[in-house]
Amino acid sequence: MKNTRNRRRKVEKSARPPLLPPDAPVTIITSSEDAELDFLKKRSLMSSAMIIAFFALLVARLWYLQIQEGETYTDLADNNRVRYVEVTPPRGNIYDSEGREIVTNRPSFNVVLSRENNRLDDQLVKKVAAILEVEVTDILDRIRKMVGTPGHLPIRLAEDIDWEKVAIIENSHLDLPGIRIEVVPLRVYHYGNYASHIIGYLGEINATELENADRTVYEPGDQIGKMGLEKLHEADLRGEKGREYMEVNALGFEQKALKGVEPLPGSDLQLTINMELQRAAEEIMERDDKAGAVVAVEVNSGRVLTAASSPQLKLDEFIGGISTKAWQAMLDDPRHPLINKVVQGQYPPASTYKIVTALAGLGEGIITPDTTIYCPGHYRFGNRTYRCWKKGGHGEVNLLRALSESCDVYFYQVGQKLGVDRLAGYAQRLGLGRKTGVDMEHEKSGLVPTTDWKKRRYNTKWHEGETLSIAIGQGYDLATPLQICMMTAALANGGTLYRPALIERVRDPDGRILKSFAPEVQERFVGQGQNMRLVRAGLVEAVNGPRGTGKPAKLKGITVAGKTGTGQVVKLKQYEHLKEEDIPYQYRDHAWFTCFAPAENPEIAVTVLVEHGLHGSSGAGPVARAVLEAYFKDRLAQGQDVAYMLVPADAENSQGVN
Amino acid sequence: MGNRHDSPRRWPMLRFDRRLIHYFDWVMLLLLLLVCGMALANLFSSTWNGGPHASPIFYKQLYIMLFGVILILPLVSFDYKELDTLGFIFYGMVLLLLVYAAFFVQSIAGTQRWIDLGFFRLQPSEPAKLVLVVVLASYFSRQEVGEGLGLLDLIKPGVLTAVPFVLIMIQPDLGTAMMLAILFCSMILFVKLRWTTIAALGVLGITAAVVFWKFLLKEYQRNRIETFLNPEGDPMNQGYQIMQSKIAVGSGQAFGKGFMEGTQGHLHFLPERHTDFAFSVWAEEWGFAGSVFFLGCYFFMLLWGINIALSARDKFGALLAFGLVMLIFWQAVINLLMIMGWLPVVGIPLPLFSYGGSSLLTTMLCVGLLMNIRMRRYQIKG
Repeated sequence: MKNTRNRRRKVEKSARPPLLPPDAPVTIITSSEDAELDFLKKRSLMSSAMIIAFFALLVARLWYLQIQEGETYTDLADNNRVRYVEVTPPRGNIYDSEGREIVTNRPSFNVVLSRENNRLDDQLVKKVAAILEVEVTDILDRIRKMVGTPGHLPIRLAEDIDWEKVAIIENSHLDLPGIRIEVVPLRVYHYGNYASHIIGYLGEINATELENADRTVYEPGDQIGKMGLEKLHEADLRGEKGREYMEVNALGFEQKALKGVEPLPGSDLQLTINMELQRAAEEIMERDDKAGAVVAVEVNSGRVLTAASSPQLKLDEFIGGISTKAWQAMLDDPRHPLINKVVQGQYPPASTYKIVTALAGLGEGIITPDTTIYCPGHYRFGNRTYRCWKKGGHGEVNLLRALSESCDVYFYQVGQKLGVDRLAGYAQRLGLGRKTGVDMEHEKSGLVPTTDWKKRRYNTKWHEGETLSIAIGQGYDLATPLQICMMTAALANGGTLYRPALIERVRDPDGRILKSFAPEVQERFVGQGQNMRLVRAGLVEAVNGPRGTGKPAKLKGITVAGKTGTGQVVKLKQYEHLKEEDIPYQYRDHAWFTCFAPAENPEIAVTVLVEHGLHGSSGAGPVARAVLEAYFKDRLAQGQDVAYMLVPADAENSQGVN
Repeated sequence: MGNRHDSPRRWPMLRFDRRLIHYFDWVMLLLLLLVCGMALANLFSSTWNGGPHASPIFYKQLYIMLFGVILILPLVSFDYKELDTLGFIFYGMVLLLLVYAAFFVQSIAGTQRWIDLGFFRLQPSEPAKLVLVVVLASYFSRQEVGEGLGLLDLIKPGVLTAVPFVLIMIQPDLGTAMMLAILFCSMILFVKLRWTTIAALGVLGITAAVVFWKFLLKEYQRNRIETFLNPEGDPMNQGYQIMQSKIAVGSGQAFGKGFMEGTQGHLHFLPERHTDFAFSVWAEEWGFAGSVFFLGCYFFMLLWGINIALSARDKFGALLAFGLVMLIFWQAVINLLMIMGWLPVVGIPLPLFSYGGSSLLTTMLCVGLLMNIRMRRYQIKG
């Protein structure tokens, strides 16, 4: 056997060359015909050519798809697989002048379900419903609403849940696949509804806003400032949205998270508003159930320290969209809570306008401080009798008494001598009749009538008698509380009219100051220093004098200078005989009080308007006083008498009497 | 020269001439292993779903592939000449299986039918392609061709093709049925036809196509073709599949996204990504370079097959080798043109590369037979 095997191997070795001669022709075909072999060769060649041709075709196609159009298809592939959801940035905070938080954000916790497929786990829904203490159907409804939306978008199951529920959900994480807690910033109003008209509120962007908005920034469902500073400083406050990128599968469900872009928080606003003064103003207005406006500005800069409009806007009613019913109720409310009365309310300035008339009279040489006029309680002009508010009359009055006791007859005569146009010139230089340009919406410009104006408006001649009404701030005269306040500030600082400002600074999240307040002078009323001092003296007397009309605003230790005003709403004979309290609300007079303090070196000007508040003195005075008390709180507590310690601001500017 | 008494020729099926090892077709084996290796790598990627292990599908295919490679040994150990007669027996067996499948097995998902053998689910339409090639080669090798075949000469082979064709159409498996028709055409063209026959067949073919379209095609089959001709009409279904496949291939760019990094496949944008669209995954992950390398290996394997036909020792061997090459070639071309967006979705796999046991085993048998023919290219005297 062994032998045989060995032999066989030998045979194989020796047999190989003859079995396969390297140059042997491929001829040993069964039929062995040359023709057949030729035919076979031809066919093989053709088949090979076909195979190579198809190979070339496929390679060419691959070249086209992968090399020539490769970029296009790569983009398509990326569009296929990458989705993103936007992350809302925390909105900028709003602080008051002292750095107190007015509006900030708090984290709110929402429960979201990330879908991995279209199947819904009943057990999961039941568990979540139990934890959230809601009906299973509520959860199912929310899920149903999202059916058909792109699968990578999470479903929100509950909003703003409390911390305990968050803890339960976080702890049973393994039990609740796909359930996540989403943290979304929500607005917190630390001062409730205080300053609500100027702060404004947020709401879901509506169709019109979307149309005008930058579509790279806003999307349907976004929150946007709807009113006040939230609206006017939207660009500063909103920040930049972040994006969470994710890879999705063909069904659109999230597979894995990709690198995202962090949201950039909005810039913070620091206001010039001092919330303690604001609170003082609003508290007293609220307490006495007054409708109106309270404005306080820093005399030497135009910083608005307080801007209150009463009744307050109820911010919580606006969160998540206000109901038509609530909106209609606000529209119908005779106290007009929707109106920001600081700039949108136009009222006859009444006796506060006597400041203008007095300055014009002095400036135009119609009167001197010593000019006296006899007041019998009325003034006859043409065939009409113009009454003084004091029926018995003031008797012999000079400028000081005329201002402090607000004698109408005195100013009728001054006005009559001035004429309406000269008076209007002074009013305009004090900022009346035009918008102040403050950061508030829908500001009204008020009205300073002139003969030209009347011609344009009514196409009639100006009647001399009308000038008399104008001189005491009635008739066509209209002004906003802010205008009166700025006028008062200009009077207090010796003639500089500032643009009222609300924004102290805008600070980005890194602490960089983007915008900073700088006083902006709108008008410099030069050459009136002495005259202004005289008028200021009259105003000091009005508050501090024995017969002054502004006594309710008097403070101990701080000299307040002020002017009352009682704006006639309507002149109806039928109400004249009634007691004031019996006149229907909407026909009662408006009450004004405008003042500044300390009189010797004014810092703050405060203007109060109480709608249908009857008398400037009693209706508006105490409100102004409350604001002043809040402003001077420290100095009043220390009993520090700052009076006469400082040089009046307009000391150098004292030429120009007459 | 030889030892006649040491190598008895009485049992040719069982006898193994060790000298055959010397003539073993190493080139084909190398090409086969290369292609199979790439197929496995691709299958690993396309079926992987995040776990630490490969998918069960991958292991299943791996085992079938190993089995197929081992199967090559017995496949080359007998003389293919035996198939000249045995082929008709296999043909009969396959017909029985097709009848069984067509009338006794429930259709799954409206298409191909399997016969469940417990350990393996056999698609009888796959081996049907192979046995058709064998019997046609056998038939034509005996046929005297002369000036070319006339129409009457085609009746017998035509019937041989038509019977499995009809049985597979019943299933209904349009793709495989079409493959039978294409194989028949390839074979008769190879054998040589008269010009008149070609013309007559052309007319017949067009008529058949019209009838086919109008009466025999199922709704969804018609839709597939309509969609292909007008992809915008149906962007989300058939057109969607082709579009996603093109995106996958195109986004591979020059060097691909990298192994396991394809997004189209892994994120399920690609339909049938481990079966019919397996090459899309490859093209996406390996890019133009990898695709050309793969196609190079694959088509070189086919050319090598043609070379085997050329060097076969007899007409049966040549016809058989040609038929086997065409069987792989047409499936590959149709599949690849579909993947690259030039043909409608017809459900034809890429042989050796797409997942599927029946197709893989059938293709392995083809390759094994090709190697068998190659090894016996010269009359071995023993």
